[in-house]
Parts: sequence; C-alpha cells; structure tokens
Amino acid sequence: MELLDRYLQAVKKHLPWKGQDDILAELRANLEAQLEDKEAELGRPLTTSEAEAWLKQIGPPMQVAARYQSQQYLIGPAVFPTYWFVLRTAFLWTFAIYSIVSVVQIFSAEVPSATAVLDAVLRLPAIFMTTAAWVTLAFAGLEFVVTHYPTKWPLAPGSSSAGYSPDWSPGSLPPLEKQGVPGMKQRTFAHAAAEVIFGALLLAWLLLIPQHPAVLLGPGAAYLHVSPFALSRVWALFYWCVVALNALQLTWRCLDLWRGSWQQPPPWQQIAMKLLGIIPLLSLFTVPDHAWVLLKHPALDQARYGETLSTINQGIYRMLLFICAITVLQLLWDIGRMTQDLYRKRVAAM
Amino acid sequence: MTLADSLFENLRLELRRGCLTLAVLAQLRHEYYGYTLRKSLADRGLVIDESTLYSLLRRLESQGLLTSEWREEDKRQKRFYRLSNIGEQIFSQLLKEWHDINAAINGIL
Repeated sequence: MELLDRYLQAVKKHLPWKGQDDILAELRANLEAQLEDKEAELGRPLTTSEAEAWLKQIGPPMQVAARYQSQQYLIGPAVFPTYWFVLRTAFLWTFAIYSIVSVVQIFSAEVPSATAVLDAVLRLPAIFMTTAAWVTLAFAGLEFVVTHYPTKWPLAPGSSSAGYSPDWSPGSLPPLEKQGVPGMKQRTFAHAAAEVIFGALLLAWLLLIPQHPAVLLGPGAAYLHVSPFALSRVWALFYWCVVALNALQLTWRCLDLWRGSWQQPPPWQQIAMKLLGIIPLLSLFTVPDHAWVLLKHPALDQARYGETLSTINQGIYRMLLFICAITVLQLLWDIGRMTQDLYRKRVAAM
Repeated sequence: MTLADSLFENLRLELRRGCLTLAVLAQLRHEYYGYTLRKSLADRGLVIDESTLYSLLRRLESQGLLTSEWREEDKRQKRFYRLSNIGEQIFSQLLKEWHDINAAINGIL
C-alpha cells in the first residue's frame, strides 16, 4: 500500500542511524500484519480514508520514531544541580566584572555621558546570554562524557556520589546561621542607641559648618578667604538636602528605639534611605553648565585660573557620576536581595 | 483535559510502565513476534500501542533479556522474540518482587 510506504519513509527520517534498517523492517512486518487482519475483517482492502484513520491512530511518524531513541538529556538530573549553581555564580561574576570594566571605560572617556551608561546597560542581556551559552555548552559536554563513558567518570549517574565531591564530610558543613534578615546582622540595643547618639552628633556637626567651616576643612578653612574660587549656590541646596536626610534618619532611628523595633529594622527602610540619598546627588546636577565651582572675580581671574577651574569642574562631574553609579548599583543590589528574600519566604510558606 | 485528569494520566502511565515490562517478559516465556504479542496481551486485558511495545522489545533485547531471530512465516519475514537465559532469571526475580509489592499494597489497603 503506497500510504503505508510513505508513512514508513517518514518514520525512517527520524529513526536513530544504528539499526535503522532492522527497526524499519520489523515495523513494516508488524504494520502489514495489522493491515492484513483489518482487511480480513472487512473482507476488502481499506479505503484511503480508512487507511489514513488507521495510520493516524498509530501516531505521527516523528513521535513513533522518537520511541526508538534512547533517553537523552542535554544536562541530566545528576549534573543539573551543579550546572544551576555554576550558572548563577557565573552570572554574578559576569555582572560584577562587566560593571567594573564599564565604569572604568565610561570614566576614562574625555567626556563621560549618560548615553555611554545607557549603552552599557543595554549590552548586559547579550553578555548574560553569552555566559549562559558557554556554561550550558560546557555542562552538555560533561553530560555527554558521563553518559557515554560512565566507567571513566567517577560521578556517573546512579553512583551514590553523583553530582557531589566524593570527599565531602558532614563535619565540614558550615555552622548554624542566626535567624534574622539576610545580609543584616542582629542589632543589640547598645548598637541602636549608639547609632542615635552618633547620628545626633553628626547632625550637630553638619549644622555648625556654615558658621564654622573649620569643623569641615580644619586649618584649610582660612584658604577660603584668599582663594580665587567660590562654591556655586547649588552647594547650599545640597547641604540642606544632606541635613534634612540626616535629620530624617535620626528621627527614624529614635522611633525604632521608642517602638522597640531596633532589633530587626525592615529591609525596605534601608532601601528607602538610599533612595532618598540620591536626592542630594541629583540636586547637584541642577547647576547650569556643570559650574560647581566659580571664580570670585571672573573678569580679573579668568585668564589665570580659567583652565584650572575647568579641570576642577570636570573632576567634580566625573566624581558625581561615579558616586551616582555606585549608589544606583547598591540600590539595585539591595532591592534585588529584598525581592528575592520576600519571594523565598512566600514560596516557602506555601 | 483538566489538571486532575492530566495528573491522573501521568501517574497512570508511571504505574503501567513497570507492569508492562513484567507482562512482556511473562508472555515471552513462549515465542511471539511483535504483532501477535500485542494481540495476546490485549486479549488478556493489557492494551499497549505498537510503538511502545516495539521500543520496549528493542530495549529489553539490548539489555540481554530477550533473543530474537528473523524467520519466514506465511510468506513474510517476521522477527520472533523469546526470553534469554538471563531474561528468565531476571523475570523470576521480578515476579517475586511483584508478589511482594502486591502483598504489601494489599496489606496497606
């Protein structure tokens, strides 16, 4: 029957090469026997539609052929836990190294720009995919060796030590971890109280700076009067933002002490403070023409100090970009950890 | 198919998988070729589709539990299977295991 021949031809395309002819001959013999039985029951040959219905019942050629394949994994269950651990670690290291390299590249350019930062961020998915591809390829190779040469590989599937070092010992397991917010040590009352005291002292010191700049600059404060340079007004805005932030943080800590929640401050509190901490930094970018430092007497001093002034302002710009980048990265890290912890707690409670 | 139906189907297939191997080994204490083996199992209440049976026969043969030979019958080349010596030994062990499991399950139920 031509339809049966076409069916077997389609099955053959997906059969494993080893023993292909033998498998096909047996399949043909059995299907022809089935066909004979059906035709004997009906007393006539099958019609085309009946033959199609019968072959459809047997199954699609690829599916039928697949049952003759040996079970194969790209990365099998014995090796997968190690693969998953290595992949996550590789992502972390890739992110860390790429971030450092990108920061260095951006700030070593003549004029660091936000476009360069955006380009670096947009390249990140491709970097991650390349990392994942190499790690997966390596472990697929390992799976192939473990499957095809089990006697030459000590960690063959089915062995009691598959996926683990044969030398592991229960005695070398890490000590019990104290329960608490991951990444945050348990705080004692003395620690929390000390934070309040030093927070108050810091605020007091900040408030003294405008009238007594020597508390910030020491003896160098005398140079302010003779220096040709002056700070632009944006620094006043920055200063009051910093004062407000410290006052807020001090108030928060006092409330924590009063309410008794100083032992485990919620992780969102730290994130909120870091978010608010970006405000003073952003306030500095409102200065026009990146002129954080000005000349007291531009008409007199421009020729002599103009280049120095430009260098100072460029340096401040790079420093601010760098601090912003570090702050944003820290914030993203903390948000990532908090999200992961919340998800883990939610899933664990299911 | 609902989630419950899908779950039941997966568990049913798992349950059948081990039983099919024992049933095929039991039948092949006598010689059969693929089609008649399938019919014989179906007549005794165990329906199995062709591709599952043929791939199972090849796997058991590759494991040394079955022997096979091509022979002409009714003007057609057919591949006949039967238990090998090792296959008979393994079958006896599996049969004992089956009885033990059966007794344990009956005790639990």
